[in-house]
Amino acid sequence: MPRYQDLYDAVVDGDAKTAKSATERLLQQGVDAGELLSDALIPAMDEVGRRFECNEYFVPELLIAARAMKAAMELIRPKLAATGVQPVATVVIGTVKGDLHDIGKNLVAAMLEGGGFAVHDLGVDVPPERFVGAVQEKKPEILAMSALLTTTMPAMRETIQALIAAGIRDQVKVIVGGAPVTESFARDIGADGYSDTASAAVQLARRLVGK
Amino acid sequence: MLQLTLLPSGQRLAVAAGTALADLLFAHGVEFPCGGRGACCACRVRIARAAPPPTAADRRAFSEAQLAAGWRLACQHRVLADIELEIGDWTAPVLADATPLAVVPRPDCGIAIDLGTTTIAAQLVDRRCGAVLATRTALNPQARHGADIMSRLDAAARGAAEALRDAVRGELGRLCRELAALAPAPVRLVAVAGNTAMHHLFAGLDPRPLLSPPYRSPHDGERVFRDAELGWDLNGAEVRLLPCLGGFVGGDLTAGLLATALHQREGPALLVDLGTNGELVLGDRQGLLAASTAAGPAFEGAGISIGMRAASGAISAVEACDGGLRCTVLGGGPARGICGSGLVDAVAAALTLGWVLPNGRLAPGRRELPLGDGLALTARDVRQLQLAKGAIAAGIVMLCAQRGIAPSAVERVLLAGAFGNYVRIPSAVRIGLLPFAVERIAAVGNTALRGARLALHDDDAAYTALRARVAHLELHRLPGYEEAFAQAMAFPAS
Ligand code: B1M
Repeated sequence: MPRYQDLYDAVVDGDAKTAKSATERLLQQGVDAGELLSDALIPAMDEVGRRFECNEYFVPELLIAARAMKAAMELIRPKLAATGVQPVATVVIGTVKGDLHDIGKNLVAAMLEGGGFAVHDLGVDVPPERFVGAVQEKKPEILAMSALLTTTMPAMRETIQALIAAGIRDQVKVIVGGAPVTESFARDIGADGYSDTASAAVQLARRLVGK
Repeated sequence: MLQLTLLPSGQRLAVAAGTALADLLFAHGVEFPCGGRGACCACRVRIARAAPPPTAADRRAFSEAQLAAGWRLACQHRVLADIELEIGDWTAPVLADATPLAVVPRPDCGIAIDLGTTTIAAQLVDRRCGAVLATRTALNPQARHGADIMSRLDAAARGAAEALRDAVRGELGRLCRELAALAPAPVRLVAVAGNTAMHHLFAGLDPRPLLSPPYRSPHDGERVFRDAELGWDLNGAEVRLLPCLGGFVGGDLTAGLLATALHQREGPALLVDLGTNGELVLGDRQGLLAASTAAGPAFEGAGISIGMRAASGAISAVEACDGGLRCTVLGGGPARGICGSGLVDAVAAALTLGWVLPNGRLAPGRRELPLGDGLALTARDVRQLQLAKGAIAAGIVMLCAQRGIAPSAVERVLLAGAFGNYVRIPSAVRIGLLPFAVERIAAVGNTALRGARLALHDDDAAYTALRARVAHLELHRLPGYEEAFAQAMAFPAS
């Protein structure tokens, strides 16, 4: 039984209002922000991911759960920074050049955030140079790319080439996903990992950073 | 060399020993949706003589009795002896159209063409009275460069543009020549309606604007050719390629407007072309809004575990009956898979039976939706349908919102395109694909072809002015799309 059951339930049920009010109350009661993250939000998002994996949840439930998680995170994040709690790792994420699909990418970003990662979302239609710039600036452990069009998958390879050209390929683990992307494509372009769902992306990212 | 006899046609093929059945049978209409991994069971065939020993995948797909009768998954086997093999021969007829039209008479003949991504239909029209004299259909020969428009455009951008252009011009030229030979008066005009990708590939235009944001081509207006420019010999006839309406809403929808006279209506109506790219036009004489929604290929059976095109052996209709699902199979015989209309029916019936819940989950304790003949739809298949129908329904909701009306204020909903004519309307409403009352919806046949026929009688190409009355919306730019899409993925409670 997770602690802070009401916050946990609010996230799993996708109830943003309750998630927000429960977080406010708990923080006011003096509960540590890091504890709320590790004992309520992370287990809640893991449960959401589990339900998605076994077809109990689908995109709509994931979207509202992500929204509830974000409502809580808005309040928790400033406190985390203030108390010096470190994220699991930092991730830079974006949808590749030429592609405007972002629902899957947003879910991956939300699951990672709910999994304790610091996430910098570059948005959609992100050219290789911007990925490279963000890696140089944010120094993330992980770079995550999403593509939904068979025609934009090559931009993933181009981005990896650009990382190599900039001499920073070995500073970051590259993970890729999106409906048309496959494990073998990921291997072929020299990515470090592939996942077929948003929740599997969290497991993958944890594995790659050794946590 | 070994001999392979195809039943029921009796056609004989000489084949090298060891040739994969998949390589041979694709050309004969057997589909391999999972790419030949033995996963989807759509490539069911009956090997009447000298059936090879069944593989593990065969055993998963068939009962002992079926195995004994020679049923196998074609993707699992190679030709190792002389064999006789039964494949059905039913395929969906290309939609033609011979609705009488009121026209202004001209002294000659014309040819109207619906240039589809998959199929082509051409009609010889007597312009003296508007009558259809003959119809010819064919498969689009570009198909070997990819099934959907994005892969075709991509192939064109990677150097196959001329090959794609010449292939389709060649095929249309052949159809025109055949029809012209039957004409009682000279053919002076040809009108071609196609989606934006077909428009560009036929005209030989740069496909790249359609492959990257904002997915809008500056060259999607009307194009006029002389027969000789296309390599055709039609005694100097003029060939008009109908203008697109904007973005991926193509000349097929321009023709659709002509055929349905949406732009002349008093009250708002919606024209829907249900396909991999759903194209929508909403409006009336006051003005028209158009958008394309990326539904994906689920309605064509792709991406569904047991999905296949509407061909022999496809479950095309499903009803709830005695607490279970009762299926109708195209061409009779055992089912090999399910096509789009069957999928929509099956999920509609499963909702009625309570096997699928409004949020798309299978009811507790239920692991699949059994259809008989060893086939079943999975939880994931239902999810794929939710994505496809959610994309169309969200597009409809966004168009209505943009126009400032509720879907209930749309007076008529007209379904064009092949799938729109086969899907059962009550089932489409039941799953929330079309958020309208059943009575308001009607299938209107091949409006691209009918519109092209009307264009043949429009001497000064007045239809080119239609473009100016249509505002094209890019759905991803509209705030609230994600919300609308998420809501539209749910199934109505009743
Ligand atoms: C480590 O990194 C990782 C790890 C895991 C990762 C990951 C990254 N990214 C994703 N994952 C994974 O996690 C998620 C959850 O588990 C999963 O994410 P997905 O993103 O796969 O799944 C999402 C949660 C849900 N899925 C989706 O959101 C996509 C659904 C469908 C219906 C779809 C939608 C909704 C849209 N579309 Co588009 N669209 C289609 C889709 C057809 C379908 N039936 O699937 C598809 C993808 N679209 C397509 C097309 C062609 C287009 N679309 C377009 C536009 C749109 C909309 C704007 C209408 C809308 C997008 C809205 C938005 N803000 O994203 C156009 C282009 C826009 C552009 N430049 O990108 C347009 C070009 C055409 C058009 N008609 O407008 C097709 C691609 C075909 C191809 N050959 O590639 C398509 C398959 C439909 C079709 N027509 O066949 C996993 O893949």
